[in-house]
Amino acid sequence: MSAIATELKNETLVGFYEQLWRIRLFEEQVQRLAARGEVPGFPHLSTGQEAVAVGVCALLNEDDYLFSGHRAHGHVLAKGSDPYAVFAEIIGRQDGVCRGRGGSMHLVDVAHGVLGATGVVAGNVSIAAGAAWAAQVRGESRLAVVFFGDGATGAGVFHETLNLASLWRLPLLLVCENNGMAEFTGREEHSNVAKVSAFAAPYGIPTQTIDGNDVLAVYEAAREAIESIRGSGGPWLLECMTYRMAGHYVGDAQHYRSKEELAAMKEKDPIDRLRRDLVKRGIPENALAAVAARVKAELDTVVDRARRAPHPDPRTVLEDVYSAWN
Amino acid sequence: MLRIRRFEEQCIQLAESKQFSGHYHVYIGQEATAVSVCNALGPEDFVFSTWRNHGHLLARGAAPDRMMAEIFGKATGYAGGKSGTLHMAVGELGVPATSALVGGNLPLATGAALACKRRGSGVSVCFHGDAALEEGAFYEAMILAAVWKVPALFVCENNSIPPAQRKRGQFTSSTLPAAQLADVPQSLQIRTEIVDGADADQLAESFERLVGEVRRGGGPRFVEVRCTRWPGSFPLWPELPDGPWQIAWAFDGKPDRADLALWLEQSDPLTLYVRKLVSAGAVTRSQLAAMDARAKEEMAGAARYAIESPFPTPDQAYRHVWAEQ
Amino acid sequence: MKITFAEGIARAIHESLAADPRVVLIGGGIMGLNTGARALLEPVLRDFASRIMVTPISELGLAGAGVGAALAGDRPLVDLSTGSFVFQAFAQVVNEAANIHYMTGGQTSVPVTFYSLAGRRGGGAAQHSHATQAMLGQVPGLQVLTPGGAEDAYGLLKWALLESRNPSVFLSHPLLLGETAEWTAHDAFLPVGKARIRREGRGVSLIASSIMVPRALAAAETLQREHGVSAEVVDLRTIIPLDRDTVLQSVARTGRAVIADECHHSYGVAAEIAATLAEKGFASLKAPVRRVTMPDVPIPFSAPLEAEITVTAEKIVAGALAAVRAA
Repeated sequence: MSAIATELKNETLVGFYEQLWRIRLFEEQVQRLAARGEVPGFPHLSTGQEAVAVGVCALLNEDDYLFSGHRAHGHVLAKGSDPYAVFAEIIGRQDGVCRGRGGSMHLVDVAHGVLGATGVVAGNVSIAAGAAWAAQVRGESRLAVVFFGDGATGAGVFHETLNLASLWRLPLLLVCENNGMAEFTGREEHSNVAKVSAFAAPYGIPTQTIDGNDVLAVYEAAREAIESIRGSGGPWLLECMTYRMAGHYVGDAQHYRSKEELAAMKEKDPIDRLRRDLVKRGIPENALAAVAARVKAELDTVVDRARRAPHPDPRTVLEDVYSAWN
Repeated sequence: MLRIRRFEEQCIQLAESKQFSGHYHVYIGQEATAVSVCNALGPEDFVFSTWRNHGHLLARGAAPDRMMAEIFGKATGYAGGKSGTLHMAVGELGVPATSALVGGNLPLATGAALACKRRGSGVSVCFHGDAALEEGAFYEAMILAAVWKVPALFVCENNSIPPAQRKRGQFTSSTLPAAQLADVPQSLQIRTEIVDGADADQLAESFERLVGEVRRGGGPRFVEVRCTRWPGSFPLWPELPDGPWQIAWAFDGKPDRADLALWLEQSDPLTLYVRKLVSAGAVTRSQLAAMDARAKEEMAGAARYAIESPFPTPDQAYRHVWAEQ
Repeated sequence: MKITFAEGIARAIHESLAADPRVVLIGGGIMGLNTGARALLEPVLRDFASRIMVTPISELGLAGAGVGAALAGDRPLVDLSTGSFVFQAFAQVVNEAANIHYMTGGQTSVPVTFYSLAGRRGGGAAQHSHATQAMLGQVPGLQVLTPGGAEDAYGLLKWALLESRNPSVFLSHPLLLGETAEWTAHDAFLPVGKARIRREGRGVSLIASSIMVPRALAAAETLQREHGVSAEVVDLRTIIPLDRDTVLQSVARTGRAVIADECHHSYGVAAEIAATLAEKGFASLKAPVRRVTMPDVPIPFSAPLEAEITVTAEKIVAGALAAVRAA
């Protein structure tokens, strides 16, 4: 067992376990409703990548800024957003975090520091740098985290951001969920650079490449990074090697993956990994099962309520194009 | 190199006497790079340049009179006055388009290299500056060149502050925090080299070899050519400190301005090369003088041609929006 | 035979790759998330794998590479995927590709085709739903192709890949992929820059392009059946080059113009047609020109909000009736 596990209390670890389940079951519900045609558009699920969100967000304060991309449900939940408001947004209801205007790929929850998810690959990386810069200029101790996939590193703006973050020593934590897939293309087909952390090297940005399916490894690396950012300052890049269990988007039949590959990935399931660790620590299996059951019941209620929530009034469609002008 | 030097001096003198308008950029101090690279290229190769293109075009064989006419915006210019200095290109010499956007020509060069690879001949050379590494387009173009393994040669003419003159902790440029520029393309798995922009022989040897490697299918290469900026380029508009370059400065004379004298001694490829040639006995000073006289006459002729050429008629503004079907 | 819009595109790509070795694909998604349509590209992948470049997510770099390859003699198709992603590539599409022939004084040209699936698709929300033709229509030197039917999807794409000497943006549409039309294999390319009268009528001209074409045709059917109004449907086919003459001739016959456009109301394609009618067709007009467009709002996610702003056949009918009943 890792050193970090011995440092942390049982209840912290069980809290991680609960949070992993919350994301997993939330995504299962999204998938279920999408299969019934109740979710507009094409949601992108975090299934299999939960440990990255949980491990990093456990170290963030409410006022730290979080930015994400099209696969944001896990990040937003881990940051502390209300699952009801997030689910309602995904199914386009008035009670959603964006009052139904944004949907799955554009979740924003300012109260919890979630400043934006974007549907454009790499769309938020430079924006996150800007938020970090603003915090720095104002002398605040908050930092900005931006989650993105390995596919985003083909975008020029990613490199422009590394340059700026290093030059200005921004309080920016870049977290790459390297799941080896950019939409439907494997990394080795579209890039000569296997590990994303290599891109940060010329700029002197400290990096770590870790097992993104081990929530404790993520936590430990994130802690080092965040302490450094808050302490001596300057950006960090965490590359979390992980696996996208549910395809690029709901409805993706994943013909580009073999059966063997799909079977092997179940081995890496982050929830199973933590469960094994917790059992080794002496936490009874039935206590863990109870956690999962409680979360399931919680989400069943959330989803039920969200499905009965009203849609936005079409007459409000022209509102909020602009902030009030005076 | 001498022809480029004299052409650029003509530009400065003509601009100062207001014979043409608009901002322009000269290649003084970097001549050896253009010449070394273009000497290794053939008619099937492509060259992409920037707003600082005069040296590249001359090295590629462009006619000074038609170039000067283009700088003046005259009808006889290569683009009929449509590009001016900023976008000057000569399609028939394998310089198909010139971007005035920082980083604008890098993806073009990758694309042309792709076409060369597909047809089995030609290389694509991209001249750009150090600032291009600040643009996202640089990374995208390099990543594509590497993944597609195309015959592209990226020649980065780095005229930012040299290491010896940098303050402690100061980076390659005030706008890129890499310890050295070549580190950046290296992190993209592209092979890099660093060469001295003041050493014409080293440049010639390096580029002969590199163009060959790229041509033989070795994949893209990035070369950082370290140049020290010529003092006349520091003001917003180029100036000729102490007038046009003199052969004598390479031998027994020197200019009045100390910064220029230092630059000539340490960084001017032309000064250093003529001195080397003469001391090796490859050429005499009187042969040099004759060469120079011819170069000056040629460029004075280019100036006359530009001055005497007509402007395009206003109706030409509407032409060439579309390539004819 | 009947083919779908997606089949037309797949055929055009396959035939172009077969006909000219200079044609190359930079990116090969083409059909977006439509798995059924993706299957149509299997022959292309099978027969021409070496001429399809696998791509990272680098729209700017890919667009520029397409321009560069065209300058060096190739005829690339660059797949920029969702229409809204053209903004990532804007510098290369607008500021390089479109300008090069002009700013070199005609020395070189750029026969590149940028392909995208543009327009409101349902649930795409603000960043995936742009109809980009009006913004791109503001770019001299760029051709903007907006087929409204399967046969024109085939014809225009084949023309762009094999014949065109200028850069094009080919605007496919995610909701058109399943539309069918009669099609026969033919060698002659349709005249580009010529609009097509899809349905003749006497009472009002419905001017449409892209996804608005099938909706205008449905509206015309309703107008005839339920209101006895004879509507003519003009399919613009291309935004640049724009066939203003056919539009003017149609309105000269009908006296009333309704322009259906998926771009936002202000500064859209409809605005250009309306201005043309005001300048050159004023004498023909028996009523003010009406535009049926998307309002000036970012596209909202929630279904009823999106439905509120979508340009439907019903809204086109309402616009036509208003035009017919006006003075």
